[in-house]
Amino acid sequence: MNLTITDTLITLEEGDETFVLFEKPDLPDYQNVTARPYLASYFTTGESIWMRLQTSMEVLADFCHEDPCYGCYALLFRRLYPLLLSSSQAKNVIAYGQPANCGAYKVFQNFMTFLQEGNALTALAQSSFSFQVLSEQSCHAFLYCLDTHPALTAVCDALRKIRPGGLFLLYTLQDAPPAQLIPLCEKGERDCLGPCTVYAFTVDEALSAFACANSSENLIFSRAEEILKRAGDLQNLVQAMLAGASLSEEVYSIAALILQQTEEILLSIYDYLENDALPVLTNALKEAVLNYYVGVSGQYEITTYREKLTQSSEAFFSAVNAEFIKES
Amino acid sequence: MNKYKMCMIPAYPLENVQLLKDRVIFPYVCFRTFGESLWLVTKSTGDYPYLSYLEGAELVTLPEEQPHMEAAVHYVTEHADEIDLLFLFGARGEYMELAGVYKSLRPDGIIYLKLDANIDWANTFPLFHKPFADFLHSCDIISCEARRLQSFLYKKWQRPVDYIPNGIYYPLYPEAADVRFEEKENMILTVGRLGTVQKNTLLLLYAYALAFPNLKEPWELVLVGSVTPEFQTDYEDFCDRFPTLAPHIRLTGNIADKQVLHQYYKKAKIFALSSRFEGGSPNVFSEAAIFGCTVLTTGVDAAPDMTDNGRVGRVSSDIEDFEGFARELSALCCDPAYLARNFHKMRIYMKEFFDYERLAGRLQVLVELQALKRRQS
Repeated sequence: MNLTITDTLITLEEGDETFVLFEKPDLPDYQNVTARPYLASYFTTGESIWMRLQTSMEVLADFCHEDPCYGCYALLFRRLYPLLLSSSQAKNVIAYGQPANCGAYKVFQNFMTFLQEGNALTALAQSSFSFQVLSEQSCHAFLYCLDTHPALTAVCDALRKIRPGGLFLLYTLQDAPPAQLIPLCEKGERDCLGPCTVYAFTVDEALSAFACANSSENLIFSRAEEILKRAGDLQNLVQAMLAGASLSEEVYSIAALILQQTEEILLSIYDYLENDALPVLTNALKEAVLNYYVGVSGQYEITTYREKLTQSSEAFFSAVNAEFIKES
Repeated sequence: MNKYKMCMIPAYPLENVQLLKDRVIFPYVCFRTFGESLWLVTKSTGDYPYLSYLEGAELVTLPEEQPHMEAAVHYVTEHADEIDLLFLFGARGEYMELAGVYKSLRPDGIIYLKLDANIDWANTFPLFHKPFADFLHSCDIISCEARRLQSFLYKKWQRPVDYIPNGIYYPLYPEAADVRFEEKENMILTVGRLGTVQKNTLLLLYAYALAFPNLKEPWELVLVGSVTPEFQTDYEDFCDRFPTLAPHIRLTGNIADKQVLHQYYKKAKIFALSSRFEGGSPNVFSEAAIFGCTVLTTGVDAAPDMTDNGRVGRVSSDIEDFEGFARELSALCCDPAYLARNFHKMRIYMKEFFDYERLAGRLQVLVELQALKRRQS
């Protein structure tokens, strides 16, 4: 990608494509720092915003021209720029997906500090757990590398950290977002240059509602409900087995199927479980059910199988209760 | 329940002796339990006389001119229609292409991967290598041979992994049916490749020496298996150093004749396993256990499973603790009542939880559930 900087334009070229990143506004005093729009704090260097922007883009090219995400950084900067200039209020920008020493972050922070000393860019660790330390609606913009963690729940968790009217920027090197993210990405504006794509969203009520519905918190609540429903069904089935009722072959298959589904649901929220042994306890109960079934259908002595089924079911149900219905 | 056309493909060409080990025996028992056919697909490594034990199974010999796995991939490409259930053994990179080809041709087909791993090995799987991750993902059912490993894999992989131990196919051991404790002798037995790093045989030898002064009755230590030159030297040094013990220790060499080996299991009261690591429980453990030997093992991954958490055997956890192993050994030797009781308990435990026919019954339901899932998707 080639960066071209003129007195009035900053463009990025990739092959035959040219993307206009910045166009100098036609304002009478734009070059004069004292006429910086909306900004209350001033510098004495005499450097204008446009001049600093030109320098920043040169530095970005120096730092990152070999980084595959270079185009993304330039597109992010383009989207971030109007927000940073929108008021003299200090801006809180969160970046997720690149290491904290990423060259682009340094360039953004430098430019942000130039505009307003209180502006902050915080680089999060590359784990979606790092979102949990942030308060809801606490930042003005969130830069999210989709390739680092392409999960809808994590993206929605990030979205919930942005103030109303704030900016959410998703960037990726993939041609298309993962299937589960397509409905969200369709709501955004798409900038694309070469392999780099940025989806830009302004947080409004509709987007907030979407984020709430698909956040990990909501996912956990809905999954917890599914697990409790299945646990209830299982309790009846296991009780019938232990009561020595004459059950059809299907009953054991159904119990195993429910346990398999429960196991999968638990694994889908594994990172959020307090008791991370819960999925393996579920598997152990499935094993005990199937051993019991093999014992019954083979007309073997089943005392030990019944004991193991009793132990496994007690361990499973008490772990489910402790995890999802603590108050009882 | 449905009948399945089954196929077992090893990552490396099968040897005759492997026909009676877990990699082939379990698929064979599954075939007997819920199979329509079973094809064992391999490049030949010689004659396969043990095939006569596997009535109904068919051996497909891959062409000599191609590497084993390349030929296996070609075979699957040609015969995917005839494979409903594909058995793979070991999470090996060699399977990556094979699994992908099979799934592309038979999205409704089921891959069952028996891991044959221990924690140390499982910890080195290249999970961030996409083709390998895709291979694991393409396996519909994965089982491992130790509960400790199962818990580890749930945390590491966050996917279902079933526990199916290395079991026993009782029809191959008719002598085990009529074994009696009264016919047993004061014999401590081990079977394996003696002197290898894995089998850690020196631990057993010196633990026996440490236990020897505490034994109220004479006990014989019998070491069965091929011997490394290093261990042969160590053994001779040992005999020079402890001449009073030497007459009580016997190195039989490798015993290929199963009937002869089974006689040792019949006579031994204690089976000692001094391994540093094992992929699940070793086949020799199951063999010894169905003959009612009480097991003393080091803390290999499967130790809690082999002893039902210490109920039907003893575990000396530290693989380098000579004194600890000796303590457990002498405690067992000095408690004939426990050995007599445990003779029955061990055999019942094996029948209930290590019988391949029962384990195949469990796998059958797991396969049915996967088939249902495939049909629904």
